[in-house]
Amino acid sequence: MKFLIHLLESRFWALCIKEINQIIRNKQLLFLLLFPPTVQLLIFGFALNADVQNLKLGIVDYANTYESRELVAALTENQIFIPQNYSLSQEEIAQQVRLGQITAGLVIPPEFNRDLAQNRTAEVQVIIDGVDANTAGIASGYATQIVNQYSRSLDENLTPPLVQAQSVFFYNPGLLSSWFLVPGVLGTVITLTSTLVSSTTLVREKDSGTLEQLLMTPADAWEILLAKIAPLFVLLMGDILLALSVARIVFRVPLQGSLLLFLTLGGLYLFVGIGFGLMLATLAKNQQQVVLTSFFINLPLIQLSGAIAPIESMPVFFQYLSLLNPLRHFVAISRGILLKGVGIDILFPHVLALFTFVVVLLTVSVNRFRSQLS
Amino acid sequence: MKRILAQCIKELAQFRRDRLTVALAILLPLATLFIFGFAIRLEATNIPIVIQDLNNSPLSRSYIEQLMATNQFQPTRWENNIVEALERGIANAGAIIPPDFDAQINSNQPTTIQVLIDGTDANNARIIQNSFRATTNAFLQTSGIQQEQPNIVARIRIWFNPGRRESLYIVPGVYGVILWIYPSLLAAIAMVREKERGTILQVYASSLTAAELLLGKGLAYFLIGIAQAIVIISLGSLLFQLSFAVEPTAFILGTSLYLWTSVLFGLLIGVRASNQNAAVQGVATIGFLSSLLLSGFIYPLSNIPFPLSLISSILPARYYIELSRDAFVRGTGWIGVWFIPLVLIVIGLLLFNTARKALSRMQLPY
Repeated sequence: MKFLIHLLESRFWALCIKEINQIIRNKQLLFLLLFPPTVQLLIFGFALNADVQNLKLGIVDYANTYESRELVAALTENQIFIPQNYSLSQEEIAQQVRLGQITAGLVIPPEFNRDLAQNRTAEVQVIIDGVDANTAGIASGYATQIVNQYSRSLDENLTPPLVQAQSVFFYNPGLLSSWFLVPGVLGTVITLTSTLVSSTTLVREKDSGTLEQLLMTPADAWEILLAKIAPLFVLLMGDILLALSVARIVFRVPLQGSLLLFLTLGGLYLFVGIGFGLMLATLAKNQQQVVLTSFFINLPLIQLSGAIAPIESMPVFFQYLSLLNPLRHFVAISRGILLKGVGIDILFPHVLALFTFVVVLLTVSVNRFRSQLS
Repeated sequence: MKRILAQCIKELAQFRRDRLTVALAILLPLATLFIFGFAIRLEATNIPIVIQDLNNSPLSRSYIEQLMATNQFQPTRWENNIVEALERGIANAGAIIPPDFDAQINSNQPTTIQVLIDGTDANNARIIQNSFRATTNAFLQTSGIQQEQPNIVARIRIWFNPGRRESLYIVPGVYGVILWIYPSLLAAIAMVREKERGTILQVYASSLTAAELLLGKGLAYFLIGIAQAIVIISLGSLLFQLSFAVEPTAFILGTSLYLWTSVLFGLLIGVRASNQNAAVQGVATIGFLSSLLLSGFIYPLSNIPFPLSLISSILPARYYIELSRDAFVRGTGWIGVWFIPLVLIVIGLLLFNTARKALSRMQLPY
């Protein structure tokens, strides 16, 4: 209560109004709040696509019979392999793979039909460009499966397999890779924007020397800081809503859980970004250094968050390291609420982690800030 | 020529005096190399999985053994509901082996293993599904339950990288990203600093032409870029066991040209931007997003949809990554990549000309 009275009577409000006026006049800041988040979200969401599809397939069919053509049709019917060209010789196919003109080559030998007719196993050769190791692995899996399936379909009196694995997909039944990326990138975008915006507003004042003037006023350090942070926080909440709208409208990412919970935890996460921003502002002497060092911090933050590449596939050391990454926890929260629709009961370890980061970051950076001021 | 050299020497001296920038010029590329080189792995291994074996017979255990032999899964203990394990992110998949698993098989009746997959990561989900299918097939064959001679088999050969080492794909791409971002970032800062401090006015007033100024500054950051390239490429190749797959003349020439386009891109942004902040942000955002997302660095170029693929086709990084992968993995050499140095020269000339025009417009007529 005492605190409330103190707050109401403080110079905080006057300072706050001054900050709001400054922000409204600062076109660059408004641009920074609107443009990069939207563009980043759009480019990340559209450009990063993990699906293995549209692999260029070169075909040489020495057998050229009904069965061999059916095999080619089976292989190319579902967009994984796209027939790029039909060649006359195996050498030509090999050369095209070597030059990177095709990603895979299929060679059906002349004895294909004879083998099938005599009930011997017929072999076809598939060459896959292994430069992209991940794509090559998935492509070879698909090729084996499709050939198997076709092979089974040739035999009428085959019994159905005795054991079958039946899969059900949860949370993303259409297996859209944008649904995975967009909630992660949403966290990334919030981190980038909040860090940059809060650090540049503080450093600019340091740069131009107006911070010293502020200190001459009778306002306390906490009043100055809070007045700086509060309007920024409101604006950055607007950024979260903007990013969420882009995710919902453009990428049709669902919102399975509670919007209120998402905004609350998003607000909590903003303080992590603001904390980083404050820290940078105390570390750097000018704006150039701020941007360079924020680059230095954000890069590992994004890479080790699971927003772009899944955490499970990282080396174990990095998996543990990522636990110290606040963005990792926010990405888990974001996917949890948007896709899985889970509540606070399941997310609380991540919330707790975020809370710890906020407390530590804000304490350290506010102290540094204060000691720099006095 | 003399004036270009003098400009270059002055620039290098100035660079050396700014300690933080020198430190960042070395540290940032190294950090990027380590993080990208080690942490970006696309192939899923050790996917946490919960298995509920309600049958617990020799047959069901041998199925699980076969599943684990793929090295793709990491069994996780979880006693409760599988869906809860997925919700909590403890496991990415759960499998239920029915209680009558062995009885059904022994009486020649088909049986089903239920697999619940967290589809959040679509790519991972597909891999899990495929892995279960392949394991089930293999199980039928090896356990002798249902041995059938397949009519057709595919003999698959993976070229260039038969062990499918992912670092062979990622690391040459990392070279492209690093050598695009950092030389251009430094050049942009240098250019815009001159504007902010007002020293550019002295340059305008001098007899130095726009082209000379660009070449002088460009040469300085080109040399710094070369130093970065040598450190990054030799260290990266040592660390991730990369070696040239073909004689490297095309790669060396391409790398030099690429560094030039990178520096020129930075200078152009520096000339265009009104202050440091905007310049650095411009280079960082544009350069980083484009070289990371639109260059085929992580996922294949063919996955980039139409309007964005246009941007990707004018990106130097896209061509350089192709060249770098060829030099270290594919190994066709000049026959396969002859056009890449040409493309880089054209883009470099365009950048140079644009920057020169923008600069000379501000210059006093001499």
